[in-house]
Amino acid sequence: MNVTALSERLGLEKDEFLELVELFLETGKSDLGQLKVAVQTEDIEEVVKSSHSIKGASGNLGFMEIFEVAKDVELNARQDRLDGASEAVDTIKKHLDQIAIEITGETA
Amino acid sequence: MNENKNLTILLVDDEPIGIKVLERTLKKEGYHVITAYDGPTARTIASKNQPDLILLDIIMPGEDGFEVIRQLKEDPRTVHIPVIFLTGKDGVDSKITGFDLGAVDYITKPFHGQEVLARVRLHLQLSLATNTLISSQADRLRQIKDAQESMLVSPEDIPGANFGVCYQSLLEAGGDFYDVLQISDDIYGYFVADISGHDIATSYMTSAVKALLKQNCIPIYQPAESMRMINHVLEEILQEGKYLTACYARLNRKSETMSLINCGHPPAVYIPKNGDVELIKLMGDVLGAFHDVFFEVKDIHVRRGDRFFLYSDGLIERPGDKNVWTKGLEDLSNACRDLRDMPVVDAVACLRDVMHQKTKVFEDDIVVLGIEV
Repeated sequence: MNVTALSERLGLEKDEFLELVELFLETGKSDLGQLKVAVQTEDIEEVVKSSHSIKGASGNLGFMEIFEVAKDVELNARQDRLDGASEAVDTIKKHLDQIAIEITGETA
Repeated sequence: MNENKNLTILLVDDEPIGIKVLERTLKKEGYHVITAYDGPTARTIASKNQPDLILLDIIMPGEDGFEVIRQLKEDPRTVHIPVIFLTGKDGVDSKITGFDLGAVDYITKPFHGQEVLARVRLHLQLSLATNTLISSQADRLRQIKDAQESMLVSPEDIPGANFGVCYQSLLEAGGDFYDVLQISDDIYGYFVADISGHDIATSYMTSAVKALLKQNCIPIYQPAESMRMINHVLEEILQEGKYLTACYARLNRKSETMSLINCGHPPAVYIPKNGDVELIKLMGDVLGAFHDVFFEVKDIHVRRGDRFFLYSDGLIERPGDKNVWTKGLEDLSNACRDLRDMPVVDAVACLRDVMHQKTKVFEDDIVVLGIEV
């Protein structure tokens, strides 16, 4: 993750950006938890809602890998499909963990 | 930039991270930022705080962005505030819907900070330029003192407009006024107004209104925008308590559309070639009295041979019964029906005579303007 490039893209200072990333990690974790449950219980409406929210937040910060994955889940769910959704949950989880590690490095 | 310090931007998005990112980006440039997480809150804030610009997300739970802008544009207190849509959708349809509803621009998410700032700056500049234009037009008009009668167009002046007119001024400085403008090759504007009062100031007003029409009835403005611009200037130059009622019709021959606006004026008469007479009743504020105004617009698909009559209230009012138009309008509909085969150039005077038969007294100025498509 190139923090400098990501912050510049948004026109923010590095520390401002990192603050928002921390906020994102918190909300992202809770959204992802909801998404996971929704996928397991096949609650389509909730899948759309939580994936949309992950998509929006990640896109706004420039985490495009997460954005793309969440977008696919949302689009599929809007067509009543959940294929690939549980793999997507894992992928997003991996990315979030990765970001968390890098952030700790940056803030340390 | 220093000049940004008084400019306020309202951010509306249900996604907190997005709001925070934009808020910081904008604050850095010196803008004052207010945020709202849902539509109803956004509308309340817009109307109370009067932001200079609104950034509005389309997809939100409950009231979505389309509904929010629809309501903002219906509210006189918020209609003038430029709205930029934030959209995750790249579908052309949603963009068109946004523009149709009155958005000035859109920004596709995920956004780039510099792009947001550039678009915000552009639309704030446009909006400020419009406001400056209004005050500079008002300044210029304060100095105009032209004669009144010489300002009225006759049908020969603009043959393409295909209209007939009957103008009768009761007093020397009449309060009624009409104008016909060629806006572009295929677009014509028709305007009939009644200015309150009959004094010198009133006659001076007619030249001002004429100049305003020329400046503001131009291809880049939709009819309601033209009327709003004119209203803003009139509001600045009119004395307290003065106002005018008006009816504005814009005919686009290419798209075969007649757009009508009514600013507190009696309804225009529409006579389709193969249909019955119809009174076009529209809501709209009078011009020059209020800062925030709303005009309902009616677009009618017209065919060759369709007719419209615009007129001043003198035509339908009767002695001792000034405020009731009902009977007068009924008579007018019937008269228009009877005269439907007469050339429009002659029909206008005939219409006045027929209506005069009913009222017997000329109590007011009268203008009758007939248009044939």
